Amino acid sequence: MSDLVIETRDLSKRYGSKLALRHLDLQVPRGRIHAIVGANGAGKSTLFRILLGFLPPTAGEARILGRDSQRLTPQDRGRIGFVNEEHTLPGWMSVQAITRAHQRLYPRWSQRLFDDVLGHYHVLPAQQVSQLSRGERAGFNLALALAQGPELLVLDEPTLGLDVVAKRAFLEALMYSNLSDDCTVIYCSHQMDEIERVADNLIILEQGELRNMSPPEEFVARVTYWVADIPFKGPDPRTVPGLLQVQRIDGLHHYLVLDQDESFGDFLHAAGARSINAMPVGLDRAVNGFLAKNHAAPSAA
Amino acid sequence: MARSQALMIEIATGDARPISKQIVDGIRMKVATGALALASQLPSVRGLAQQLGINPNTVAKAYAELTAEGWLESRQGLGLFVAPPRQRLSRAERDKRLDEAVSRFVHDVVALDLPAGEVLARLDLELQAFAPKKTA
Repeated sequence: MSDLVIETRDLSKRYGSKLALRHLDLQVPRGRIHAIVGANGAGKSTLFRILLGFLPPTAGEARILGRDSQRLTPQDRGRIGFVNEEHTLPGWMSVQAITRAHQRLYPRWSQRLFDDVLGHYHVLPAQQVSQLSRGERAGFNLALALAQGPELLVLDEPTLGLDVVAKRAFLEALMYSNLSDDCTVIYCSHQMDEIERVADNLIILEQGELRNMSPPEEFVARVTYWVADIPFKGPDPRTVPGLLQVQRIDGLHHYLVLDQDESFGDFLHAAGARSINAMPVGLDRAVNGFLAKNHAAPSAA
Repeated sequence: MARSQALMIEIATGDARPISKQIVDGIRMKVATGALALASQLPSVRGLAQQLGINPNTVAKAYAELTAEGWLESRQGLGLFVAPPRQRLSRAERDKRLDEAVSRFVHDVVALDLPAGEVLARLDLELQAFAPKKTA
């Protein structure tokens, strides 16, 4: 059994003239909860479509649970649970009918886990899917995916559009149901407060490339925020080491920088700074600053 | 049969301190002030995770750090308990942390432009509140 649940080698995907994935080398170890973040268009959805065998790569290879993603058998697919933001299920079917179909489909089905997760929601067996609220559908979908006993559970923006109560119920069901320890969870989200609560590992994709793979707190420790009082213009942004973001607010220069220690203060001094203050930042600001650096923006005025 | 004591701490997302650090700070404070008495039992990893709505691995990490620093001790098969007080950090580590704390404090307070005597009197008062009760 491979120790990697996801393994891509030099994986590229081209849509016309646009590269959605660029020579991506990604290795996700078995176990724990891995968050994947990236700006829209970073290549997350393309990556999942390739990994689940819905889309062929332009170049390179992608393996999921040790199998070539382009040659997955129904048994292989049974080892993978998938919940996406749409929570699509046939609207005309009853909860009971769908549940029975899944029971038959998955040999590792756990009724106890299913009841456990669905217990967080007011869903009745006879209800039609079309009568469920978005939050209830999310819960039902998660219950189905967890009860199937997957080795790998992929959640793509699962809490998008859920209210705070439904969101909390979803996260509780995910984290405190007796998921087996060898189940690996891939959690795609833009919501940093959720990621801070759930993720053991933070994977950042940007423009089809892997930019970070570490526990969230290690990533956050790489980013610092500096405010300096620099008379006149301040240094050319292109010369600022590790620069993620710069803003001039009320005459002060605010810098968000990556991988800089105290020597960044020396740099600011040398640039003519009179007073200098530094502080750590939270996950939200660190990730946003990191992604904003290369985010498409109108060319500067 | 709840044998573990209620642990009244709260965490906040969006803070510059990682959640595990917030837990470590919170529990240290509870032990230092006596709100968590000697030998009282901590909530289970899973229990505290559920209370705070976070990943159990984060709680496990905080507990491991507190155990390594000597604030908590594990009793085989029973769980985690508040450890008897002893010097939990080396002299050098304590000096280093004191330097950092003083530096942070001075940076903040100097901007307030208050008389040093007033600042010190206030600090003294706050520290007295944390003085260990010598009855144990």
